[in-house]
Amino acid sequence: MRRASLVVLAVLVGVVAIAGAQARALLPDKASSVKKTTVTLTGWASSPAETAALRTTIAGFERSHPNFTVNYAPINGDYPAAMLAKFAARRPPDVFYVDSNVAPDWMSQGVLEPLDSLIKKNHYNVKPFFPRLLSAFKYKGHIYGLPKDWSPLAMETNNAMLAKAGVKPPKTWAQLRTAAQKLKDANAVPGGAPVCIDPDWARLLAFVYQNKGSFLNAKKTAPAVKSAAVRQAVQFYAGFQSAGLAGTHDKLGVGWCGEALGKEKAAIIFEGNWVVGYMSDTFPGVKYTISPLPKGKVNGNLGFTVSYSIGKNTSNKKAAWTLLSYLVGKQGMHLWTQQGIALPARKDVAVPKGRSAFLKQAGYAHPWQFAPRFSKVIDTANNELTAYFQGKESLDDMLNKIDSAARDALG
Amino acid sequence: MSEPAAPPLAALDELAAGEPVAVGAAGPPVGIPGRARSELIQRLLTYGALTALALLFFVPFIWSVSTSLKPLPETANFSLLPHTWTVAAYKEAWTQYNFARYMANSAIVSVAITFTSVFLAALGGYAFARLRFPGRNLLFFVVLGTLMIPDQLRLVPIYRMLTIFPVTHWNLVDTYQGYWAIRMVSATALFLMRQYFLTIPRDLEEAAVLDGAGYFKTFWRVMLPLAGPALAAIAILEFQGTWNDFFWANLLLQSPQHWTMQVGLAQFFWSYGTLWNDLMAASVIALLPVVIVYLFFQRYFVAGVASAGVKG
Amino acid sequence: MAIAVPKRRLFGRTKRPGSTREALVGYAFVFVPMAVFLLFFIYPIGYAVYISRYDWGILGPLENLGWKNYSHLWHDTLFRRAIKNTIEYTVWVVPAQMALGLLLAVVVNQRIKFRTFFRGAFYFPALASSAAITSIALYLLNINGLFNKVFGFHRAWFYDTQTALPAITALNAWTTSGTMMLFYLAALQAIPTDVYEAAAIDGAGPWRQFWKITFPLLKPGHFFVAVVSIIGAMKVFDQNYIVSRGTGGPDYATYSVVLYIYNTAIKDSALGLAAAAGVVLFIIIFLFTIVQWALFGRQEAN
Repeated sequence: MRRASLVVLAVLVGVVAIAGAQARALLPDKASSVKKTTVTLTGWASSPAETAALRTTIAGFERSHPNFTVNYAPINGDYPAAMLAKFAARRPPDVFYVDSNVAPDWMSQGVLEPLDSLIKKNHYNVKPFFPRLLSAFKYKGHIYGLPKDWSPLAMETNNAMLAKAGVKPPKTWAQLRTAAQKLKDANAVPGGAPVCIDPDWARLLAFVYQNKGSFLNAKKTAPAVKSAAVRQAVQFYAGFQSAGLAGTHDKLGVGWCGEALGKEKAAIIFEGNWVVGYMSDTFPGVKYTISPLPKGKVNGNLGFTVSYSIGKNTSNKKAAWTLLSYLVGKQGMHLWTQQGIALPARKDVAVPKGRSAFLKQAGYAHPWQFAPRFSKVIDTANNELTAYFQGKESLDDMLNKIDSAARDALG
Repeated sequence: MSEPAAPPLAALDELAAGEPVAVGAAGPPVGIPGRARSELIQRLLTYGALTALALLFFVPFIWSVSTSLKPLPETANFSLLPHTWTVAAYKEAWTQYNFARYMANSAIVSVAITFTSVFLAALGGYAFARLRFPGRNLLFFVVLGTLMIPDQLRLVPIYRMLTIFPVTHWNLVDTYQGYWAIRMVSATALFLMRQYFLTIPRDLEEAAVLDGAGYFKTFWRVMLPLAGPALAAIAILEFQGTWNDFFWANLLLQSPQHWTMQVGLAQFFWSYGTLWNDLMAASVIALLPVVIVYLFFQRYFVAGVASAGVKG
Repeated sequence: MAIAVPKRRLFGRTKRPGSTREALVGYAFVFVPMAVFLLFFIYPIGYAVYISRYDWGILGPLENLGWKNYSHLWHDTLFRRAIKNTIEYTVWVVPAQMALGLLLAVVVNQRIKFRTFFRGAFYFPALASSAAITSIALYLLNINGLFNKVFGFHRAWFYDTQTALPAITALNAWTTSGTMMLFYLAALQAIPTDVYEAAAIDGAGPWRQFWKITFPLLKPGHFFVAVVSIIGAMKVFDQNYIVSRGTGGPDYATYSVVLYIYNTAIKDSALGLAAAAGVVLFIIIFLFTIVQWALFGRQEAN
């Protein structure tokens, strides 16, 4: 018995040693003996394609700044938890991603470094950035991050199914409703539904903006969900489902609406730039068209954006700024976005192929963010919306509950 | 350890009748002619039912393996067997994602933690079960109390502590040592060992004491060999628990060269478009070492002989 | 070597000879585990209790709130729903896990053929990580998935407000039963066979043997499995988070207390409120455990 355990132990040690030796060969070369400034860069990595694009960008930086080495260590999995720990321990990375959704919390709690003085000192021009995206990272008049990329929502439609029903990609709400009806009548989506619609405010809110409504008032001091504009938008959005013209992702048997488009369980979906790479990787055979969201009373959209920021407790802020300014600069952003992984947040960077429908929305995209300490309110809002979708409560109840939850959070 | 003779067929009869059978039960004598055929049928039914149940537990694994052998577009349909078989996902997972490294890291921390956990839990469990010291019950409640805190609450204080460790000022973040330190012994393991030692009759210990053995010797020579099944349970539990841990590995083993399997796999779970075939290939690769460890240690669960030594 | 020494007083009780040495050895044996627990568990609890009285941000205290966090929790419908969901889940999942685990343990403890295969099969779901198993479950319980096809249902189990929590309950009962099987197996192994032989000679049938002998002798095992089960169930998080993408939906069905703590701490950076919620959870679990200790846990007098 003892000998067997020893053998197993020896085997395990052997395996570890071999794997370790093999893996060492895969590690990047250590820095050369020349004294270089090391800057740490952190973010999340959603796909190997993203990691590859970022490494290209980093290589571009290291070429033009030979005295710098970038230590890129993505956090794989739970980014907010890991970053919280680093901030609390006052050991943030030099440059890191900040999602617009968490930006209000991080900015108000003072873990991000204001960039105004660095911008001024280095005569950095922030005008090329789309103003609405930049505003997502402003707090009390200071800039806390520069947007590195973004995506709005757009409408993706299945070419074959729309052709079968004899409809073109709709341009207004009324046309959207008609198109869905025609798709249903023509039975163009067997085993599915004409539209894929989820009880998710990260989609619904775009329609609310189009109806001249909003979640919060302009100063972000009070909720504005009980307005008629919001009511109409919610009724329009949810109306597809109650009329049998749309299905939620779970009813269609998919994980999200992008998958519905791919598996041809829906003819019309509303997703952002992320769906393009997904479709070409997973469902290359499905032919679809990207169009702007159908227009409501006004044009309106959401902007999902991420910035590069520097930590308040970062030690070498000058070096961090050098990296940051390159990454969001013209050349860096071009390297990052040229494959279409993401859309440039600057006006002066070329649009990647096939993405113009997205970029046209920059003028009326509202950043996807609210006030500090608001995440539970959004969870509540989504849960109430789900209840409304499943017929478990009335629209008024839903809006009242969301309103009171928002008031509690806003204090 | 020699295994006892197979229990009489009657025990299987009782099993077939759907009643739980006590360990080592001796039934009435068998071999009555005419019963042979019905016994065979009952036996087949029993094994059939057990196999059906086992397959039910196995179904997800079967599906994982089959999905891992499909090309990506085919994972969209829910068939059990692939139409086109391909090992591309395994090749891709192994080359594109540094799984050799991840596996080495997981192995290092899992083995280290399993070793210390087993030893410390046995030692501590023995003390709580058999030794008398003031405050024993209170300390034991402290042990139980540690189980009642969710990890999320410990996130910030532990991370801060590890950036500047008290007294020594080590920075233990992103090191194997730091990760090992916070998991080197688990309260569940200690608790299990205490319960197990409580059930062992005292005769052997008393014999050892009379022979002049000290406390540690009694523990090492007498109690530990008797605790085979419990030690095996802990070893399996700790190895699997560490191998599958995501929360602390995500927090404390941050640089890519320190990533464990779960952190490496997280890319698949957290991104928008799930690459099902890669995910399943990676999961299968990740599962194999745990399966091997489990099969190795479960041999220590021998039917009905654990306390053979006590009788003598 | 037992030396006769006159009885001395230790903490006011009369002492047996050699008991100081025994006490010291006892402390020595538990020293390392207790140090680890105190440093990495008890200190964080103390830290949590301390910061629960503040509005504690990422970088430190923002405002002293006294007990306001706790009163906020008391009035927070979301927190109350989380508590309700978690207790409901625990009440269902724990007996299921224990019964299933015990049944499987008894089965694989027999000298049946292919025992190793069965042990492997039953423990298999427990071997995979929760993320992997949940992904698999999401797939199999898809509205067009294998489960619905085989049993003729047509529901999106994890997304329907009425079936979401039961689906997670069933999933976890199934996964964790393997671990409970392991624990019970270890406990069963400790029961000496002569007890059964004596009972068999006395003419006791297998059912009686199980209930009158095995089951009572498993008392330390039951205590262990019950405590570990309940604690684990009250801390349920992974599956809820993955299934609901962190929202606790649909319609709050999967909102658990730890999910509340996670969202409060990590998404809202309200560490003080999260700590208060954690303290409340701790107290509830502690009370459950004391009850079980009183019922099952006391050792026989040494």
